Amino acid sequence: MARKLMKGCEAIGEAAIKANCKLFFGYPITPQNEIPEYMSRRLPQVGGTFVQAESEVAASNMLYGAAGAGERVFTSSSSPGISLMQEAVSYMAGSELPVVIVNIMRAGPGLGGILPSQADYFQSTKGGGHGDYRLLVLAPSSVQEAVDLMQDAFDLADHYRNPVMVIADGLIGQMMEPVEFKEDRQPCRSLPSKDWATTGWKGEGRPRAIVNSLFLDPNLLERHNEKLTAKYAEMARNEVRVAEYFTDEDYDLLVVAYGSVARVCLSAIRQLRAEGKRVALVRPISLFPFPTEVIERAANKAGRVLVVELSTGQMLEDVRMAVGKDFPVAFHGRTGGNLVTPDEAREKILAQLAAREASR
Amino acid sequence: MFTRRISILVGHFGSGKSEIAVNYSMRLARDGLPVSLIDLDVIKPYFRSRSARDQLAAAGVELVAPTGDSFYADLPIMLPRVRGLCRQHDRRVVMDVGGDDAGARVIGSLDDVLDPDEIEVAAVLNFNRPFTADPDQAVAMIRGIEGNARMRVTGVIANTHLMQFTKPETVRSGYENACECARRLSVKVLAVCVPSVLEGEFSGDEFESKLFPISRVIRTTFAADTDSAGGDSGVPEQPPAPGFAPAVEGRYGVRKVGPLFVPAAMPDEEG
Repeated sequence: MARKLMKGCEAIGEAAIKANCKLFFGYPITPQNEIPEYMSRRLPQVGGTFVQAESEVAASNMLYGAAGAGERVFTSSSSPGISLMQEAVSYMAGSELPVVIVNIMRAGPGLGGILPSQADYFQSTKGGGHGDYRLLVLAPSSVQEAVDLMQDAFDLADHYRNPVMVIADGLIGQMMEPVEFKEDRQPCRSLPSKDWATTGWKGEGRPRAIVNSLFLDPNLLERHNEKLTAKYAEMARNEVRVAEYFTDEDYDLLVVAYGSVARVCLSAIRQLRAEGKRVALVRPISLFPFPTEVIERAANKAGRVLVVELSTGQMLEDVRMAVGKDFPVAFHGRTGGNLVTPDEAREKILAQLAAREASR
Repeated sequence: MFTRRISILVGHFGSGKSEIAVNYSMRLARDGLPVSLIDLDVIKPYFRSRSARDQLAAAGVELVAPTGDSFYADLPIMLPRVRGLCRQHDRRVVMDVGGDDAGARVIGSLDDVLDPDEIEVAAVLNFNRPFTADPDQAVAMIRGIEGNARMRVTGVIANTHLMQFTKPETVRSGYENACECARRLSVKVLAVCVPSVLEGEFSGDEFESKLFPISRVIRTTFAADTDSAGGDSGVPEQPPAPGFAPAVEGRYGVRKVGPLFVPAAMPDEEG
């Protein structure tokens, strides 16, 4: 298919339709309004249903119902709206429902602002709702990658019977880039039949399907938690996604960044490498599971790490856990909706290279 | 490309209105004309003409946009200065209107102060955008805009491009589509926009309409993703069979990626 020029939000919507998702329930919030806008136009054209719910709470529980009935379904929102959905997210994880949730992150906390941010890393990867659960979390750094990850997200959700969250800073949602939708795309994982879904019981053929997260018997609930934990361990083994840049070469500093910030850092790193400075980049694509071992290996080769985020340091904690507490890890973050510029990244990288030199 | 005092740019969101508004008003200022650029985009929060605040100031263009906190908002704010400029006959005015019929509603409120003989209303068309992929869709979009704007579109601007993937053929086929729209609307194609790096690919008289070279001002600080299309997105290998202990590389499906982006060398659009 020919390339189209699309905003991240529009491309995410079209990717869902290409993944045969015919249902969208959501509520408007800046900077992701182009997703519901797009779905409200496109879904009727493909025989789907768009509902603007009365709130994010309602939308997320509509997701629960539709996924429970075995349908592919997704919602999108931005940070405060995602916070409102957290009760249903926990219920969907507990009931093992395959749904896709998109968070086009804006600056917080509270109402915050409407400019880009990556400050919902903790909320997405450590569980914004209650109980022991994990979401598969994917973070695109281009509009094309948002398309690809979005299509994979539906397959992963169905494969693991688990909610998948795609998080992008507001910039990825709002910027336009050329994108391509593959015609012959195959599912990225096997898709088991949804024999557990509530599709109507005819009194025979199979037991009643009950979608539920209530287990009053402590032993049953513990067994359920153990089953979920095993599933998360399987995700951790099989679903790590990461992009590495220049890690095959020699380098004195490893930069770790994701989303649009990784592209800013890469622009700076390419320029610095042209000047003979030895720097490499690891860009986590899956945030849960986190590419712990890749970062540990790449960091050890450099001896020093710089983490750059649009937050006060959230992924930073996972990087620290990957490299151990005595490893030198520096951090640069911007908040409020301010972006890291390539010049700023360059300056921070140069400072770390100088610090490494001085510590020798 | 415009001959009347007030140029109003409408169209699908993402069609290029802001970039054209910024480039055009900076060109007027370079020609020594007093010019005001009114950012009437109440539709989207980022990548508006107000993002070019510093470049516009340096070029001597007056930017009319909300100030203070409201600068960053996507609220329907109509500054008193807008109505004033409609009546101030010694300045050129460029209005950058928000996308689609929804964005056009804001200029409908100006029909009591806009003199029909002073205005040109140009629909910006990029046929690589969703919802304006062909002349049928584009004309339908323009009709919706006209209804909400309470004014007729008086010309179209051919702005078909694919950012870093724009080829001369991209521009040419977009021009053909724009001509078809113009014919159906009984208006002219006012200009054909081309990325300034491709300007040399076209002879001056190739199109009946003027060439308008565009240098992108409103953009991200990092470079285009030149390698994005068709690439894999780091899908790990299929999960191994139970009991099989794979090597670290396979287990983690480590994606080796070469240089993805060309180096950035462009102004920061922070602000």
